[in-house]
Amino acid sequence: MIEVRFHGRGGQGAVTAVRILASALYLEGKYTQAIPMYGTERRGAPVVAFLRIGESRINERDLVHNPDIVVVLDPLLSRTVPVTEGLKEGGLIVMNFPKPGTEAGIGGRFMLATVDATGIALEALGRPITNTAMLGAFAKASGLVSLESLEKTLLEHWPGRLGEMNLRALRTAYERVTPPVDVSGIQAQEKRPREEIFSKDVSSWRIFKPQLDEDRCVGCRRCYIYCPEVAISMIQGKARVDYSSCKGCGICGEECPTGAISMVQEAL
Amino acid sequence: MSRPIPLHELGDKEYIDPANQACQGCGGAIVSRLVSKALGEGFVRAEVACCGPAFMNIRAPSIYVEVFEGAGALMTGISRGLKRIGREDVVVMGIIGDGGTVDIGFQGLSAAAERNENILWVCYDNEAYMNTGGQKSGATTLYAATTTTPIGEYSRGKLERRKNVPLLMAMQGAPYVATASVAFPEDLLGKLIHAKGIKGFRYIHVSSPCPTGWGYDPKDTIKVARGMVQSGLWPLYEVSDGILRLNYKPRELKPVREVLKMQGRFRHLNDEEIDRIQREVDTFWRRLVAKDGGEIF
Repeated sequence: MIEVRFHGRGGQGAVTAVRILASALYLEGKYTQAIPMYGTERRGAPVVAFLRIGESRINERDLVHNPDIVVVLDPLLSRTVPVTEGLKEGGLIVMNFPKPGTEAGIGGRFMLATVDATGIALEALGRPITNTAMLGAFAKASGLVSLESLEKTLLEHWPGRLGEMNLRALRTAYERVTPPVDVSGIQAQEKRPREEIFSKDVSSWRIFKPQLDEDRCVGCRRCYIYCPEVAISMIQGKARVDYSSCKGCGICGEECPTGAISMVQEAL
Repeated sequence: MSRPIPLHELGDKEYIDPANQACQGCGGAIVSRLVSKALGEGFVRAEVACCGPAFMNIRAPSIYVEVFEGAGALMTGISRGLKRIGREDVVVMGIIGDGGTVDIGFQGLSAAAERNENILWVCYDNEAYMNTGGQKSGATTLYAATTTTPIGEYSRGKLERRKNVPLLMAMQGAPYVATASVAFPEDLLGKLIHAKGIKGFRYIHVSSPCPTGWGYDPKDTIKVARGMVQSGLWPLYEVSDGILRLNYKPRELKPVREVLKMQGRFRHLNDEEIDRIQREVDTFWRRLVAKDGGEIF
């Protein structure tokens, strides 16, 4: 039996990903389980989902505690969530990260494959929903499921144009994922404490961040009043963003009457 | 009647802690921030089960009970207790979700209005039970897709019209009833400040879009809220001592189609269904305009 854990953020489709993967593996004659984690599934908040793959009937109904494979749908998630927790020695990590695996800040006796799923998703879907791209990367890196059965399940799940778009993300990631590299010689980046539960810092939630052009800001206070996070304050008649409280929802950029706020992709 | 508060008149002081655990672009988080900003100091807050625990980090004495239907009783208790110790100057306020107001909490709400308890009830309306994944509520708009009214071969979304609780409260004779929207903060702040100065049962129903449950991009929260007001899906009015006044009265309403099509929960609508929503919006608007400035009954 192979156990897989998916880490993502609410809205990136971790639960949908395990469902599609389970159906695809079922088509190949495997016994599968897709388990969503019940909790606060808010958009942007860290979530997990689990998958079991067996050659025979699976009687376990528990959550997965010691996965063989971990899939990380978000490039910044591993800075705050212990994604390798419980991962078996020699286990595989498939991570959404635009740089080589040795620079991801993950160390230990694991293999790490990376792919720029956010970039692929923005290209194929126009939105940073990375689940289908990561399924393509998972298929290539793990070799557990064929691309054909994934494609078939995907089109059943989303018939029409949406399915075609997701198919493109799946195939591109299948081609672009790096071969797994050994990260046992790498010093793991120290995790910040589990602050996400009652945090003051939500900066890792965002994919786009607001950038203010001070010359164009007329101090109208629209961004300030519409910000759901109190991340914008008015200093001497100009807006100022506190990036530790900003989740990157983009309301300020949308509502700015002079176009002084633009949303730019967060650099890693 | 309330007076809109221009944004430059607002103080810079915040009564809410920055960063919360709500979704990106949460309308409810904007409501809790504006409410606490308008009331300032000198209020206590009641809270029942809703998304609130994720985002209402308001710096005020707060009482949370899990009893979903208990908001009316809870606020009544706090208000009577304060009266007993001679602190009637303290405003008893509850930011309650639409489930805790329109369906589950309705008996408590209606009874509190009947007794004319000295409380300020703010309903933030995201039109479904969003905290548990988006089940339909009495506030859900006609034809909206939710997890309990899905779209399929035999189902076209919610089949019932939404309950009009603000008017129900007005008909019960509450001293002050108002509707508001997160897209019109000047109007919302004005209504809250006006309500703060009144004794008795005050009810403010705020439309607060939910990007997760309504299926739109988080950056469009204000756009959707504004579109709902401009199309007449969510008219802004207030009823003060039985006199109704429209606060937003454009010469012509925008068609509902545009704002409906922005949202994933209405993506399945065909022309016939949009026409039915349009007709109902037009009828309600016509009746409201006829009552504008006059007695509602």
